[in-house]
Amino acid sequence: MKVLTIAWNNVHRALRDRTGLFFLVALPLLLVFVVGAAFGGAGTPVVGVAGDAGVLRDDPAVRVRAFADEPSLRAAVEHGEVGAGLLRTGTGAPLLLVRSDQAGQQVRLLVTSALTREANRLSAAGFVAAHAGTDQATALSAVDSTRVEPVEVRTSTTGTALFPENFSGFDLGAANQLLVFTFLNSLTTAAALVEARTLGVTRRMLATPTPAWAVVAGEALGRVAIALLQGLIVLAGSALLFGVRWGDPVGAGALLCAFALVSGAAGLVLGAACRTQQQITGLGILLGLGLAAFGGCMVPLEFFSPTLRTAAFATPHGWANDGFDVLTRQGGDLFSIAPNLAVLLGFAVVLFGLGAWWLRRAMTR
Amino acid sequence: MTVLSCSGLRRRFGDVLAVDDVSFTIGEGETYGLLGPNGAGKTTTISMITGVLERDAGEVVVAGVPMSTRTVAAKRLVGYVPQELALYPDLTGRENLRFFASLHGAARSRVEHVLGVVGLADRADDLAREYSGGMKRRLNVAIGLLHEPKLLVLDEPTAGVDPQSRNQIIENVRTLAAGGMAVLYTTHYMEEAERLCDRVGVIDSGRLVAEGTRRELVERLGERDRISLQLEGDLARAAAVAGAVPSVHGVSAHGHGLELVVDDAREALPAVLSAISTGGAVVRAAEFDEPNLETVFLHLTGKALRE
Repeated sequence: MKVLTIAWNNVHRALRDRTGLFFLVALPLLLVFVVGAAFGGAGTPVVGVAGDAGVLRDDPAVRVRAFADEPSLRAAVEHGEVGAGLLRTGTGAPLLLVRSDQAGQQVRLLVTSALTREANRLSAAGFVAAHAGTDQATALSAVDSTRVEPVEVRTSTTGTALFPENFSGFDLGAANQLLVFTFLNSLTTAAALVEARTLGVTRRMLATPTPAWAVVAGEALGRVAIALLQGLIVLAGSALLFGVRWGDPVGAGALLCAFALVSGAAGLVLGAACRTQQQITGLGILLGLGLAAFGGCMVPLEFFSPTLRTAAFATPHGWANDGFDVLTRQGGDLFSIAPNLAVLLGFAVVLFGLGAWWLRRAMTR
Repeated sequence: MTVLSCSGLRRRFGDVLAVDDVSFTIGEGETYGLLGPNGAGKTTTISMITGVLERDAGEVVVAGVPMSTRTVAAKRLVGYVPQELALYPDLTGRENLRFFASLHGAARSRVEHVLGVVGLADRADDLAREYSGGMKRRLNVAIGLLHEPKLLVLDEPTAGVDPQSRNQIIENVRTLAAGGMAVLYTTHYMEEAERLCDRVGVIDSGRLVAEGTRRELVERLGERDRISLQLEGDLARAAAVAGAVPSVHGVSAHGHGLELVVDDAREALPAVLSAISTGGAVVRAAEFDEPNLETVFLHLTGKALRE
């Protein structure tokens, strides 16, 4: 019971810190959004139109944003506010403004195919009107009511696809952000352990009828709870806000718990080893970002050289990253990631042992 | 009944012998002052008494229960108010008390009770960081009272607080001692020790160099109270009759006054005034000087208490 009291006190204090809440809730989700959007996101492409949008208005594949004139449309395309711009003023042929990047080319294809479809529809209606002697409106109605069976085209990918079909930019970045922030915030919020010691609160706890092991266990559980909360915020928040798919829910939950145990234990070690809050902040950021980079949270592991890829598996991030890849890209389940879970639990046991010994020593120093 | 019994306490940090063979007892309802300059070993002694620090030798027994860093039973009997403000600044006063009440196994109703005792009930839901220094000190004391301990250990509880909070803390301690609680009190303020403590122990370089009531310590140094009188009338006759009063050990005349050396100025003054009046002189002014703990402390340690 006292272990839970001490653990809850840690979580309670972390949630009360407004600056900390920004790093706990807002920043990870913001980065999931930014990274996701940078890699194409999962939303509907936006086409800016100056003039009559015509058939694009009803096309579910694009979203139309109206512009008053060519300069404002051109500026919006250049600034990346819209994927492409369609200039349809006067009697001349429509002009499509596109950026040279992948998103621009994707929108160009969507717009040109929509316009081609419309041109074909109008041609067919003209042909019907000329040969059946009806007016254009009746001919268009006849064309629209004619059902043409679509040609079925099957596609298959040869070799191993780096990303599965429908894998969005949000899917790509969410797991990385989860690992970065769960570990990083566990390390930096461990400053609370140093604060409790410098304030004399830890000594005071030891003067209560609470065994030293219960104080250590409570502090450790508090670290894990904060890490788990951080992971849950990214996991649930990204799924709800951006539709991120995490694969098998049992596997994802188990992986999150295992990584939270490692992160909490690492926080315990750092909180016990450091003597000032400044040391915690500096070392926490260094280790949090450094291990994340080595573990493939900044650049996908597939882009690493063989040596670096081997080195990545010396970090808990590497194993967790690989586990999430198995779940999200390869459709794996709990059994597929059993080795990853075992290694992460091994990391947690070693770090907890070290952290508990060190904290006990620091408390009675 | 003895509530705290320490015998032969010893603790070494590397080459430094911080506490060496310290022994004393505190009875029920007694307030014991532990005085010493900085680094004398007061906090180390208190840490061993409260079971926070392992001792190298000696024994601590609280109300018949042996104390150590691993025992829980003895810790239930001790309330500890450390020198630092050992509370969470980002929790409210009430939240701090509830947290420590859980660790002490104290009932929730005790939280409201101690808030009232230290006069913080109306600010209980404010964050501790928003409290004044005095209010933080009072909250620090309140945490030590949550579980109604038999022994209350206060390490410099009034350091750096405003006079109002200091008075409140001192009155709280007096009331608790009157209710039977044993109190171990360290302070840098000699007047506090004189107002509060039934007995004091002077610790220097890790050793308890003297112990007793203020009067016992003063007498041990050969110091006595002095009464100064301003008179009108026959000064020689007044000196003769005053010198004949049994508790007066010496009389000297100077100008229009007399200075008397007595055992206890407060007890001797009525008899001295009566004798001088009978001798025909008129007393215009009287004042007395009692050797205080500061004098004792300086004599025993060669240092002022604040050094």
